[in-house]
Amino acid sequence: MQSLNLNYYYVLPHIIVAITGIMSLLFGVFNKQAHRDLVFINIAGLVTAGASTVRLWNLVTNNAKDGPLTAFSGMIVLDHMSLAFIFIFLIVALLSTLISLNFLEDENLSPEEFNSLLMFATVGMMLMASAGDMVMIFLGLEISSIATYVLAGYRRTDLRSNESALKYFILGSFSTAFLLYGMALLYGATGSTNLDAISNAIKSGNNLITKQPMTLELLYVGAAMLLIGFGFKIATAPFHVWTPDVYQGAPTAVTAFMASGSKAAGFVAFLRIFVITFAASYSFELHTTWVNILQVLAILTMIIGNIVALSQTDIKRVLAYSSIAHAGYALIGFLADDWTSVAFYMLTYSVMTIGAFAVVSVMAGQGDEKTDLESWAGMGFKSLGLSIALLVFMLSMAGMPLTGGFMGKFLIFKTAWDKGFHIIVIVAVLNSAASIYYYLRPMVTLFFREENESNPIPLMSWTAYVTILLALAGTFYLGIMPGRLFSLLDVAKDVIK
Amino acid sequence: MVPLSWYLALSAVLFTIGAVGVFVKRNVISIFMCIELMLNAVNLTLIAFSSFYKEASGQLFVFIVMTVAAAEAGVGLALVIAVFRNRESLNTDDTNLLKL
Repeated sequence: MQSLNLNYYYVLPHIIVAITGIMSLLFGVFNKQAHRDLVFINIAGLVTAGASTVRLWNLVTNNAKDGPLTAFSGMIVLDHMSLAFIFIFLIVALLSTLISLNFLEDENLSPEEFNSLLMFATVGMMLMASAGDMVMIFLGLEISSIATYVLAGYRRTDLRSNESALKYFILGSFSTAFLLYGMALLYGATGSTNLDAISNAIKSGNNLITKQPMTLELLYVGAAMLLIGFGFKIATAPFHVWTPDVYQGAPTAVTAFMASGSKAAGFVAFLRIFVITFAASYSFELHTTWVNILQVLAILTMIIGNIVALSQTDIKRVLAYSSIAHAGYALIGFLADDWTSVAFYMLTYSVMTIGAFAVVSVMAGQGDEKTDLESWAGMGFKSLGLSIALLVFMLSMAGMPLTGGFMGKFLIFKTAWDKGFHIIVIVAVLNSAASIYYYLRPMVTLFFREENESNPIPLMSWTAYVTILLALAGTFYLGIMPGRLFSLLDVAKDVIK
Repeated sequence: MVPLSWYLALSAVLFTIGAVGVFVKRNVISIFMCIELMLNAVNLTLIAFSSFYKEASGQLFVFIVMTVAAAEAGVGLALVIAVFRNRESLNTDDTNLLKL
């Protein structure tokens, strides 16, 4: 029996972000005028949380020998994986806050609620990253989902935004039901909701309470249900249909947040259950079964994502299908049992996706009206800086050397290749070569087409400017000098025993 | 005493009815009720296991699921109202703006 270990230090980043959210809500009540200053509250909160995450990382590195650190009766696990993903969520939240200011001011929507919902969604994702219990994964998922449903429908009078929020809500809760059913069956099979206890039960093959051999049907059906639930959350192939609709209709800043943050949160919980709790050393049959299923899912996801993206005419839908394809690439990291490559991939993917959506939000103008690629014809030379930034992000997504996207893909493909997954790596490389076509199509429209009508030059606020610059810097940093991060992640590989 | 497998079969049936209903129904409120049915099927599974094992953690999970489902219903119905105000319809066949 674990002791009730109320160690608030282990959840310090979560607490700081939650307080930031509450503060930005209160600030809006007492100070109606100074909307811009809210951004600084969020930035300060996120940077402080980032600093405390770094301190916790050092703490974990120093205590690596004593096994994983847990708190709150095993509800919270503090390890390198959770901290790495928490760091990604903080970066995502920071960049999303910066892009959102533009459209909130233009359309006279209240930024205080937006910012606090963004912070609460981030707290939910962070809890998913550090969950050590299925209850906590569920709670974190719902905290982030419920806040994100509202964010997707934040343009209250816009029908597209309404529709996006409704679709996200229905499919989100539908997939949560599958996830929960899987958790219930897993509890039935093993007799515990704690992930550490579940992995012990799987290792011994006995139910923890009855001490009898566990019912394998329950375990396998439960794992399948969890796979479906997570498949919806990270948008893998047969469960991806909601993604383009939701991403297209939501305000672009929210789309950026969903495409990077929500997806990474799905990935970390998925990793926690499938790679760590169902690890190969615990149950060989269970492990090989889900590895085989994931292989099929990853191939389907990459191919469907890339092929359907070819025929899209709306830039947000192109990016949505590209994000589906990227989920396929990241799934390859699961096969090799290597969370570090998935974490690095999610970091590079988040940075370039948010960068691309930041450019889209500026180009689309007020109300996200011009997201159709046709309306961008001939705009390239008018907004040269933006177009070049978009080019860099698109090339990075396609996996061009010197950009972060290349390094992320390289790391994933290399670890999978070394483990003997040759066919899937070849499929993935071919896929990313084919994806260059639709990544470069917006460039052709921007530079080599006649302008339809005299479009105004897109106006850029300083926050959008800063976001795009930061994302560009991040993309190049991760592509050219990832050595320091690689060595940090190399030290951190310890989670999988 | 009713054996555990009966409870599990009942909750599996309820879950399936809910899941099928989500695809078949056309009204947003009905779809939402189908999702609630799925969640309650899960609750039944958890409680059945919990009472079978004579252990409380499953029941605690149910409390949390119920609380979260209530919060979700609050947000979901608010979204439904927002859609209805703009569109005057709750039929999912009418929500077709975002299509290729």
